[in-house]
Amino acid sequence: MSAAETPPQAVVLELRGIVKRFGATRALDGASLRVRRGSVHGLVGENGAGKSTLIKVLAGIHRPDAGSLLVDGRAHAHFDPRQVERLGIRFIHQERLLPAGFTVDEALFFGQERRLGPWLDRRAQRREAERLLEHWFGLRLPAGALVGELSSAEQQVLQIVRALIVKPRVLVFDEPSVALVRSEVERLLCIVRRLRDEGLAIVYISHYLQEIEALCDRVTVLRNGRDVAEVDPRATSPERIARLMVNREVGELYPKSAPAPGAPLLEVRGLGRGRAYRDIDLRVRRGEVVGLTGLVGSGAKELLKSLFGLAPPDTGEVRLDGRPLALRTPRQAVAEGIALLPEERRRQGVALDLSVQENVTLAALPRFSRFGLLSRRAERRETLGLIERLRIKSAGPQATVRQLSGGNQQKVALAKWFARRSSLYLLDEPSVGIDIGAKAEIYRLIGELAREGAGVLILSSDLPELLGLCERIHVMHRGRIAARFEAGEADSDKLLAVATGAVAQQETSVHESIPG
Amino acid sequence: MNPSPVEAARPRLGTLLLRRGALLAFAAILLVFALGAPNFLAPGNLANVLAQSAILGILAFGLTTVIVGGGSNVLSGGLDLSVAANLGLSAAVYATLDNAGYGAFAGIGLTLATGLAVGLLNGLVVVGFRLPPLLATLASMNLVAGLELVLTENTVLPSASPLLEWLAFGVWLGVPALAWVLLGVAALLILLIDCTPFGLRLYAVGEYPEAAHAAGIAVRRHVFASYLISGLCGSLAAFCSAAWFSGSTTGSGEMLLSVVAIAFLGTIFSRRLRPSIGGTLLATLLVGFMINGFQLLNISSFWVNGLQGVLILLVVALSGLSRKEP
Repeated sequence: MSAAETPPQAVVLELRGIVKRFGATRALDGASLRVRRGSVHGLVGENGAGKSTLIKVLAGIHRPDAGSLLVDGRAHAHFDPRQVERLGIRFIHQERLLPAGFTVDEALFFGQERRLGPWLDRRAQRREAERLLEHWFGLRLPAGALVGELSSAEQQVLQIVRALIVKPRVLVFDEPSVALVRSEVERLLCIVRRLRDEGLAIVYISHYLQEIEALCDRVTVLRNGRDVAEVDPRATSPERIARLMVNREVGELYPKSAPAPGAPLLEVRGLGRGRAYRDIDLRVRRGEVVGLTGLVGSGAKELLKSLFGLAPPDTGEVRLDGRPLALRTPRQAVAEGIALLPEERRRQGVALDLSVQENVTLAALPRFSRFGLLSRRAERRETLGLIERLRIKSAGPQATVRQLSGGNQQKVALAKWFARRSSLYLLDEPSVGIDIGAKAEIYRLIGELAREGAGVLILSSDLPELLGLCERIHVMHRGRIAARFEAGEADSDKLLAVATGAVAQQETSVHESIPG
Repeated sequence: MNPSPVEAARPRLGTLLLRRGALLAFAAILLVFALGAPNFLAPGNLANVLAQSAILGILAFGLTTVIVGGGSNVLSGGLDLSVAANLGLSAAVYATLDNAGYGAFAGIGLTLATGLAVGLLNGLVVVGFRLPPLLATLASMNLVAGLELVLTENTVLPSASPLLEWLAFGVWLGVPALAWVLLGVAALLILLIDCTPFGLRLYAVGEYPEAAHAAGIAVRRHVFASYLISGLCGSLAAFCSAAWFSGSTTGSGEMLLSVVAIAFLGTIFSRRLRPSIGGTLLATLLVGFMINGFQLLNISSFWVNGLQGVLILLVVALSGLSRKEP
């Protein structure tokens, strides 16, 4: 790896002083980027720093207002998408943009088909698909497999192969690891290194600074539409890169939570559902943030769903504020003041095509209506209040949620329950796919909720997050709570050991001192 | 440590039932008719069914192409409700020109141009103004039907050109000309949609517009082309209709429901449950055989309408089931 950085290599791609305005806002304000052959160049920045705008300028989707693009030293005023392709610049998009109903070879070649005269040469495509998958990834997929039947990682691989078909010179990875689990990320990093060693210039955009550190030869930090630094990630600590990104200390990522929890809010006893989970005992008091974690299949996700009235349990009891609760539908759960922040933010957390205001007031419309008619004024007042309180960056209450960054979408999803005045918050992977600045804000809001007397139950696979936020962490393994840890007595290794089953069940943990 | 990988989805029960079931049901229906009506399987009768199916089939091919290019969501996807009205107008144009003494080439050319013009209109409205196809083509259907009334004053325009004679009475290898036309149009469209890059891109544009856009495919141009093809199918079917009825007829709009039914029914005959010309051809024949079988068994043909309705409901319900996330 160190061999790659010794000789200074030719600059393949250079963006100079790119400016892009949308109305009054300057999404890019003189951003520059220089990418060399045979190197991996990281691009980091908070959401809203201009990363995606810069990529869209590079892809020819946006036309810059000023600045120049140089490929091999030759300047272009702007690109159009076809030109970008001809210049050998290809993109691996964050969202898996592949047709689910296509076969593997159709998905690889559509738009760049192999032809035999006027016809589609399906046989050549199949052969080449097989060869490429084998050559680059040692991967064999069943003939005629449909894209929708493949795993996220395999779909990611298809995207990469799709880009490699035209022998590109610059490959741009836009948050490629968001949908991958850890082992798959390792594979992805290996692949990227191999592509670099073949002489490609690679732009790698990621929120995960560990990936940047492990992979990149150089990293450009964007802030407020400008490149504020270009550093060597191996010689620069992730903390310093994070500081460059947000221009403030991120040491206080996790809020200090409320000191004295109040009355029990949620009490779960002996809860079980088929083979998903059983014998679950769990308590969340007012003012408390409780963590829940477990691998896929541990039952943690199903448990959270059950508490929101999805997937009702067969045995055991759930009490809310001391009253027994028979949750059978989400509707009941909402009526009881339970809020769920789902992991699938874009599908279930927010209504993408509705405005911020419509999203925020969606769960609490009766509060804003008089005699059955909605009071737009009351809605607007509440929305403006929440936009300010949650620091939602948007063009205003009428902005469409689709236009917001991931972190701000998550805040809107949370604001919906704030408006509903919910008392119990079930958060499912609350910080997935959002950048470090937005994360800190979400954490701050979680702390605020607890201080105001709400109970919070967080399901997360981000262990540092749980350790930083929660007073108590429950680790599930094979459908049972395998261990409980009090804040301060756990670390990532212990949690992981229990979650993976490396450590036997320790059902009664040190402190089981919760009243009731 | 991020979201879990998507589990490799196995084909669900509904999907399997649809894939295998459709062909089995087709065979079962043929069997019932064959047992009930002795002449059902006679070559003459089978050829007859093919010829009778030409009009509906060609219209359904046009609609299928539009559904491929627009996506099979009934409400927001591709839809061309003007195909049947297009047939009416095109047939009227042909009969008028023929009666006015225009030559064969002018007549045929202008008729095809009429169909293309309707497709052009739909394409402009759907692609240019971005109106939902359901509403856009509903409007153009009324417009086109109105033009037909202006031209015919709601009467039948008889016509008997050599072309129509040949279409109505021509026989080759024991198979009537209309049957050949149906199979020929099907073959051409199967070549275009299943065997060329254009077809593959059309599928991508229809079901996965974002992916198609990201792949550098000119999405709108493809959707536009699908409406042109549909318009052309409208005028091709008009020749068949004019041959069958010896001129233009009134009330061609009534065929619309059958055409829509056939096009959606066609999806269950494709392995991947998506609209395809081959599937639509099978659906056309299924409906044709049902009409024919009912006639042979002396059952009122009104029942066919009811049965078509049931089939549509079944297809929509089952494909909804098979698509539902677990």
